[in-house]
Amino acid sequence: MEKVVLSAEEKKLLRKVQLRSHLVFMAANMVQMEANGMTHTLAPALEEIYKDDPEGKKEAYARSQQFFNTHAVPFSFIAGLVWAMEKEHKENNSVDGQTIESIKAALMGPTAGMFDSLFFNCLRIIAAGVGIGLCSQGNILGTVLFILIYGVPQSILKFIFVRMGYTYGTSFIEMVFNSGLMASFTKAASILGIIMVGAMTASMVSVPLALTLNIGDTSVVIGDVINSIFPGLLGVCLLFWYVSLIRKGVRPTWLIVITLVIGLVGALIGLF
Amino acid sequence: MVEVALKLCLVYWFITWLDTYILSWQCLTRPIVVAPIAGLVMGDLQTGIIMGASLESVFMGISAIGGSIPADVTTGTIIATAFTILTNADMETAISLSLPIGTVMASINSMFTPVWAAFAPYLKKLATGGNLKKYEIISHVINIFIPLVPAVVMFFAVAYGVEGLESLIASLPAWVMTGLSAASSMMLAVGFAILTAMIWSKEIGYFFFAGYVLVAYLSMDTLAIAILGAIVAVTLFLQEKRSLDLENKITKLVSEGNVSANSEEEDFF
Repeated sequence: MEKVVLSAEEKKLLRKVQLRSHLVFMAANMVQMEANGMTHTLAPALEEIYKDDPEGKKEAYARSQQFFNTHAVPFSFIAGLVWAMEKEHKENNSVDGQTIESIKAALMGPTAGMFDSLFFNCLRIIAAGVGIGLCSQGNILGTVLFILIYGVPQSILKFIFVRMGYTYGTSFIEMVFNSGLMASFTKAASILGIIMVGAMTASMVSVPLALTLNIGDTSVVIGDVINSIFPGLLGVCLLFWYVSLIRKGVRPTWLIVITLVIGLVGALIGLF
Repeated sequence: MVEVALKLCLVYWFITWLDTYILSWQCLTRPIVVAPIAGLVMGDLQTGIIMGASLESVFMGISAIGGSIPADVTTGTIIATAFTILTNADMETAISLSLPIGTVMASINSMFTPVWAAFAPYLKKLATGGNLKKYEIISHVINIFIPLVPAVVMFFAVAYGVEGLESLIASLPAWVMTGLSAASSMMLAVGFAILTAMIWSKEIGYFFFAGYVLVAYLSMDTLAIAILGAIVAVTLFLQEKRSLDLENKITKLVSEGNVSANSEEEDFF
């Protein structure tokens, strides 16, 4: 990919779009999802591209209002890409409106899957792990680190992504998707994520069993026996029972209710 | 109590507005950030920080993925923190209550989703109508109103609910408290189960136990495990990349080999 040089005017416009690409969830609703975010992000660019073409401008705004939904970070990349395509559409007429819409729709799914797993399942868990460790000792630095690890990089990436989407445009998409590395990348991020989930399950989930068996003179603490087989075995069993319930389509709200019932009934009959 | 409730209500509204609609980070609304701020507003930062750590682990698995939110993390956090600080209640009790509160708040929020969705055709008309300024202003006004609904509900919950909650807790039998605190340590399994179900696949699922064993048997720090995990992830990524490169090279060589074999054949005949 050759280096693209932007003119001073383009740079000014770029800065505007980069800042506005933070408005992803603008007036978000179940019908449009992030469509208003897309319109707000692209508005300065569309005004510039279609400044002497009111009919084209109207069509471009209508395109930006189509249902759109992905993670907030790749949103910026796609916005930059749409900007490049809209410009191409107006200047050379090589990209038609239909293509812009279908590329947007095609990118929604894979980018959402990839960045949800990268940010929600990996970076957020790492940031929370680091933050919880410090905060549980009463250190406010944990909160600061959480924001620095999980929040701030999103903005930095957004700035890079709008620029990337705009300058490298379609060629970039082809490169990434044809290289076949996307699947490997998602896999690596998931591995890191699940290792962290396992680690935090071990340190946080516990089933506080208080049951003791009295056999003659000796009393056996059942919880200790189970933990000597495998530390926290009951917690792991509970977790995987929940996982299987979730896989069967049980809603998380029900799991919360089930847990409350287990806790209360268990305490009533003297399990805990 | 009313004054504190009003302050907390403003904190909730401002953080949600800033984090969701202006920054789109989905980071500042997390318990680990909200609880210390709520603590600071109520004059007990220290408790807020510690509550933040516990609540973040409770709500770990619960985040807005694909637009459906099982529990309103932010209101659950603020009410639980307020309950602990204002009534000197046990932290574990407050934490076990935070999930049910968050669930109730989420269902109140979802009652209003059709209301916000009703604006969609109007916004579409404005966006294509040529009056950009009007469209932008109305979008911003909607942004201000969406988090105002849970903020108002929360105001009443804190202003008039905490004292009621306190006297209720005092009148409960002992097994209820034991049960609630047992449930709160098991409640963490719900969040982790959601995450595990989402990430788990036959190919990589067993890595769960790598992290588990490092803590259960070696009591390692989360940061240390994150570093080890990153090494494993990068190694696997590079290995997959190498085998992919090799695959491409072999395909290329095979096709070239065919070409040369063909040309030899032509020479021969």
